Amino acid sequence: MSSQKKRNFQIEAFKHRVVVDPKYAEKTWKILEHAIHEIYNHNASGLSFEELYRNAYNMVLHKFGEKLYSGLVSTMTSHLKEIAVSIEASQGALFLEELDRKWTEHNKALQMIRDILMYMDRTFIPSTHKTPVHELGLNLWRDNIVHSIKIQMRLKDRLLELVQRERGSEVINRGLMRNVVKMLMDLGSLVYQEEFEKPFLVVSADFYRGESQQFIESCDCGDYLKKAEKRLNEEIERVSHYLDARSEVKITNVVEKEMIESQMTRLVHMENSGLVNMLMDDKYDDLGRMYHLFRRVPNGLSLIRDVMTTHIRETGKQLVTDPERLKDPVDFVQHLLDEKDKHDKIIHLSFNNDKMFQNSLNSSFEHFINLNTRSPEFISLFVDDKLRKGLKGVSEEDVETILDKVMMLFRYLQEKDVFEKYYKQHLAKRLLSNKSVSEDAERSLILKLKTECGYQFTSKLEGMFTDMKTSDDTMQGFYAAVGHELGDGPTLGVHVLTTGSWPTQLTTTCNLPPEILTVCDKFKTYYLGTHNGRRLSWQTNMGSADIKATFNKGQKHELNVSTYQMCVLMLFNNGDGLSYTEIEQATGIPTVDLKRCLQSLACAKGKNVLRKEPMSKDIGEDDTFFFNDKFTSKFYKVKIGTVVAQKESEPEKQETRQRVEEDRKPQIEAAIVRIMKARRVLDHNNIVAEVTKQLQSRFLPNPVVIKKRIESLIEREFLERDKDDRKLYRYLA
Amino acid sequence: MRRGSSKKGSANSTTSTNSSAMDLFRSASGKAATKELERIDQLFYSYSNESSGIIDPEGIECLCSDLEVEHTDVRILMVAWKMHAEKQGYFTLEEWRKGLKALHADTIVKLKKALPELENEVRRPSNYVDFYSYAFRYCLTEEKQKSIDIESICELLELVLGSQFPQQVDLFIQYLKTQTDYKVINMDQWMGFYRFCNEISFPDFNNYDEDLAWPLILDNFVDWVKSKQS
Repeated sequence: MSSQKKRNFQIEAFKHRVVVDPKYAEKTWKILEHAIHEIYNHNASGLSFEELYRNAYNMVLHKFGEKLYSGLVSTMTSHLKEIAVSIEASQGALFLEELDRKWTEHNKALQMIRDILMYMDRTFIPSTHKTPVHELGLNLWRDNIVHSIKIQMRLKDRLLELVQRERGSEVINRGLMRNVVKMLMDLGSLVYQEEFEKPFLVVSADFYRGESQQFIESCDCGDYLKKAEKRLNEEIERVSHYLDARSEVKITNVVEKEMIESQMTRLVHMENSGLVNMLMDDKYDDLGRMYHLFRRVPNGLSLIRDVMTTHIRETGKQLVTDPERLKDPVDFVQHLLDEKDKHDKIIHLSFNNDKMFQNSLNSSFEHFINLNTRSPEFISLFVDDKLRKGLKGVSEEDVETILDKVMMLFRYLQEKDVFEKYYKQHLAKRLLSNKSVSEDAERSLILKLKTECGYQFTSKLEGMFTDMKTSDDTMQGFYAAVGHELGDGPTLGVHVLTTGSWPTQLTTTCNLPPEILTVCDKFKTYYLGTHNGRRLSWQTNMGSADIKATFNKGQKHELNVSTYQMCVLMLFNNGDGLSYTEIEQATGIPTVDLKRCLQSLACAKGKNVLRKEPMSKDIGEDDTFFFNDKFTSKFYKVKIGTVVAQKESEPEKQETRQRVEEDRKPQIEAAIVRIMKARRVLDHNNIVAEVTKQLQSRFLPNPVVIKKRIESLIEREFLERDKDDRKLYRYLA
Repeated sequence: MRRGSSKKGSANSTTSTNSSAMDLFRSASGKAATKELERIDQLFYSYSNESSGIIDPEGIECLCSDLEVEHTDVRILMVAWKMHAEKQGYFTLEEWRKGLKALHADTIVKLKKALPELENEVRRPSNYVDFYSYAFRYCLTEEKQKSIDIESICELLELVLGSQFPQQVDLFIQYLKTQTDYKVINMDQWMGFYRFCNEISFPDFNNYDEDLAWPLILDNFVDWVKSKQS
């Protein structure tokens, strides 16, 4: 196989032998050098741009770029050296001005030179990796002016001096500062940092350190914070006017560190003006300032939060343990609400509604409210007071607000079941004495409780309301059916209460007067006639009666009394001068209740329809009682019965507490069984944790009690211990 | 040395010491075994109540005096355990047979000789838990009774654990007598105490953790001891 060889024709470049005048380069350079001189001497107007450009172009073209470049460097350098001398010679304030002026001129010159040498800039320089003209000009300025020994220090000092003067409230030439600083920035961020920023930060730190020390000795907290804020703002403004924007965060850090962080503990704890005082005096502005300043430093806000929490817990603890305060439960609770409102306002106005502060406030309240075991009772008494009279004439909106506040306190309670018990008791009294100011308000609160705690919590309470309604209907039916039989007898009103919904009462003995008995029996017959299989028992300790009484001078009064009191008074229709024993026998009322009843009839001022001999304060078993003919009152209707909810006496309180503890036992056991049924096998610590979690919406179970319940369940063979691992319990199906 | 092939002996026999009498016994022929049973039964009837047909407390007292052992001695309890006797103070024929066969005793003399070995057997840790819980159940005299009163528990503790853990038992008895929270002790608490003696260092209770599943009575006991010590 033969391959045809192709012959390539090569066309070679036409080599034009140019004979360059050896002196050509030198001549051309001289022209350019002269031009540079002229430019620096402000004589540029006489130059021809085109000619110069062409000359530079030719030099590069004819491979004399190197000569051009090095010539440029040396020419510029020598000029700059002259400029340096002139700057160095300036005195005082003129120093910076001269520097600034010369810098501006240099830039103008540099621009022109660059334009002239643009061809070199675009071709020769990139290929030889040399510094472009503009940058070269800056570098040469830096090396010969800024870094010149005589200028460098002076420049630095002068700049810092001006800043210090301005801090001392002197007015300085900001425009000049800006220009000089910009010059440094143009020379590169490294130059800016080395020649200005770093020393600036160091000097500032020293300055503020000193100032903070001085202020802290002489100012109170509020004033100090004002000053610190002022300085901070000043620095920010300074940066915006004549420094690099990136310096802002650095200088603010310095101020924050020196003026805030280093002194914050001392500030917060300052006597008479620190955080605690600000809180107590509602100093919203100062607090807001503190919040915003401290936010800038690490741990600033947590410091405020911690001190605030400690303070609230302390004051709260004092509040709940102060015996004076505790005398009036309603007042006590109102104080709690006021404290909460006060701090809510502070967090809202000064602390930016910060959630973490809100949480701290809540946990503090929860902590100290539960320090007093009577808190659940007192809160219920507060509610009772409001629902009896406190909400009279209050708008619907405001009612809701107050009830919401009550719910907020309720949420803090650990022993919600204790609250429930008291609430039930107080509600029962309100319902039965018809003392509730607004049924809507009652219903609204129950609804809120239901939303919070679930149906279980409120089902019985709702049952109480139902009973009241049903009783009304029953009474209507009774009078419709049997009314004609009653004749002149007393008018009867019956509330039929479902056992279980109402607070448990022990049924007491009491012998009702015959007139009452008759009509009561009629009712019983009627009721049992329409409701098969039920059992009724009269709760004589809960009823009331209205009696008309005629006194000595014929004045008539209508007395509103309790059932017990009615029984006692009716005795005096058949006799006078009855001894305690006689009364006791006739009425069959238990001793404690009878004594209380007689006391309210004979010893209370303005209500003593009975007279007692001897006239002592207490009821003795040897006393004798007389109808008080001389009784007077300016009111026709006199209320003597006491069915108002009151703070419990010590023994009553013990009893309630005991009942609550008893009620808790089955709840704990039910929780244990529920958990074990699901898990089958579980160790001790986990059971305790789970039980606590399940019951936390009602109360906080005592781990010892939980343990006891577990042991009881073991004994009753609901659970057993694991044979190998003694920490485990096993569910026995 | 086993010669005989018939193994009519009870399965209860444990590895015993090299008693030649025992070896001989074991190697006896079937006829001898029947004889043995007869003697066991005879022994039973010598103590049993005629009308009820079982050994009652009186009979046991006689038995004890014959054995030269106090009827409150723990070894009688151990014999009862061996028999799996159900009712305190009574031995049925079945129980008697089971026990004596296991002990290879058909006479009083042999029974007495078997006592030390029985004690060793019981005291072995693997058996002791069983014996300990048996002791409790044995004291439950009424039907459906689940707990024992404090007095009896103290006596039982002394009897059953007194030699092994004298200090703990002593202190615990003191505690039981002075406290008022508990009037009776149930099985769970009884077993708990045995575990307690075995596991917890004494007298410092350093490794006792209240948060673990120890019965509450022991938590209270430890608190009581600690407050006494301080």
